[in-house]
Amino acid sequence: MSTIDTETRTSGGIAPVVETGTATGIAPVPETRAQRTRGAVRWQTRQAINFWLKWIMVILAYVFLHAPLIVVIGASFNGGGEYAAIEFPPVSPSIEWYFEIPVGQFESLGLSFALAALASLSAVVIGVPAALGLVRSNLPGKALIGIVFRSPLQIPAVVSGIAFLQMFYLIGDTTGFYAQGGFIGLAIGHIFIAIPYVVGTVVAVLQRFDHRLEEAALSLGASPWRTFRRVTLPVIMPGVYAGALYAFMVSFGDVPLSIFLTAPGYVTYPVELFSALENDFDPSILASGTLVILFCLVVMIVVQRVVGLDALLKIGGTGKGR
Amino acid sequence: MTVRWDLLLIPSFIFTFVLLTLSQTLFLEGSFYRDLGLGRTSDEFDFSNYLRAFTDGFYLTTLWITVKVSALAMIGTLVFSFPVAYVIARMRSRWGMILLSGIVVSTFITIVIKVFGIIIIFSADGWLNRSLMALGITDAPYTIIGTQEGVVIGLMYFTLGFGVLTLYSVVQTIPYSLEEAAEIHGASRIRMFWRVILPLSMPGLVAGGLMVFNMCMGAFTSAALLGGGKVFTLPVLIQRTIMMEVKYSMAGTLAAVLLVAVILINILSIMVLRRMRVARGVLA
Repeated sequence: MSTIDTETRTSGGIAPVVETGTATGIAPVPETRAQRTRGAVRWQTRQAINFWLKWIMVILAYVFLHAPLIVVIGASFNGGGEYAAIEFPPVSPSIEWYFEIPVGQFESLGLSFALAALASLSAVVIGVPAALGLVRSNLPGKALIGIVFRSPLQIPAVVSGIAFLQMFYLIGDTTGFYAQGGFIGLAIGHIFIAIPYVVGTVVAVLQRFDHRLEEAALSLGASPWRTFRRVTLPVIMPGVYAGALYAFMVSFGDVPLSIFLTAPGYVTYPVELFSALENDFDPSILASGTLVILFCLVVMIVVQRVVGLDALLKIGGTGKGR
Repeated sequence: MTVRWDLLLIPSFIFTFVLLTLSQTLFLEGSFYRDLGLGRTSDEFDFSNYLRAFTDGFYLTTLWITVKVSALAMIGTLVFSFPVAYVIARMRSRWGMILLSGIVVSTFITIVIKVFGIIIIFSADGWLNRSLMALGITDAPYTIIGTQEGVVIGLMYFTLGFGVLTLYSVVQTIPYSLEEAAEIHGASRIRMFWRVILPLSMPGLVAGGLMVFNMCMGAFTSAALLGGGKVFTLPVLIQRTIMMEVKYSMAGTLAAVLLVAVILINILSIMVLRRMRVARGVLA
């Protein structure tokens, strides 16, 4: 990287060619001193406009992305008892809605949490060996196998939803066990969409793996298993964490797949929120939504402390939200 | 090393493969039986559902709207996420990481909560509409819910964070020294952007753009809630066909159309990227 300090870099306020007058490049050579100054001024104005335009876009994007979240958090603190309306900014601040969250919402939050935990754990169990096999074996048709593992990410979740629904119907018709509308059906669907995240991140880490580390361990007398446990696993662990995190978050926030597989009593939190928004809702849902936002923030902070965000992003498995 | 890595692959592969093929073939097969409504289907294998999907004006309009809003959302996402990704990638203080975690957090939070926020912002007696009307900008409350613009914005909520994260890794691969070189030779920032940064990030932009387009085509939640029962995209229509009309095989047909569209976009993106890589190789 360069040695130029950050300030000059971002503002870009240097015009070396015009000022020194030793133009050799693209810039036209200014004739007189006045022209030179004018040129430099114009050049600097353009740079300034460009600089501010960039920052305005950045600020707009952040406002755009975060305004709804702030509105939800703010509106959840608006009291008003029976005549409560959803207001942002809150008119009569209170935390009453946090005590009015119905038990049902906690149950669906619990279900979502359990599903997400199970899905990300299963995705690790299934995805890590798959990634190892994909990178290290030399099977013919490895590319095709890779496509199979990545396909749940490419298939629109709605399509997977109706596909699983119909599959469960058919299995139910022949065996008498209907998986849709229960924990098992939801779990199978969520595991299915979670697998590609772990496979993707672990493959990315393995492709950059330095084989000399393993060779060193083996030549120093470690058994293959010990080498794997003490050398390979620690190196791929950030990839596993990242994949599991993406898988957890995707499962925790999924609507399009779960909506086909839920039934009264087995409604995940996002689906409950979704149907509340489609029909009717009271402000208690703002309070539980705020709790979910806080939960995601806490997860983020923990991840930042434990793995480091840059490590997470450098893995390259930015994944794909739903 | 004498580890049979391919053996490791087998159980995982069987699990994924069975789930994938079983579920996907069943609904595809079902889509070839004419839908009689209310969950009943005829026993004859024919193409009547597909014929209907491609001749009925309503389905065709839906397909067109899906492509249109996805394309608009893709353009919006790229236009907004590129400057953000660029600024963050070129930042060397720890603010870069803080800004980036802001993006990551907002992508992780379920889209339903974000849409909830949008609904509150645009509610008829909300703060925005009250101030708009007080300033005399509009007479009637303005809402984006139930309009195509609303769906485009909803889709952007779904894809913007992803776009920033993807383009961030793209910009990071462009060495800063190239920008310095352009600057030293007297190129303005704008010229440098068009002649240096943009060409170098083109493959990433195309790949990211097509991926965003793909996500939008299949996006359900934001499209359903901001469409407000007035604007239908294909995923929304699929869900309604099952939940409200109970037409399983018609929904299967629509899902098959969506699936094929998405697969085609994927193939297209692979082809375009391969061609670009070849072109780059020739230039270098």
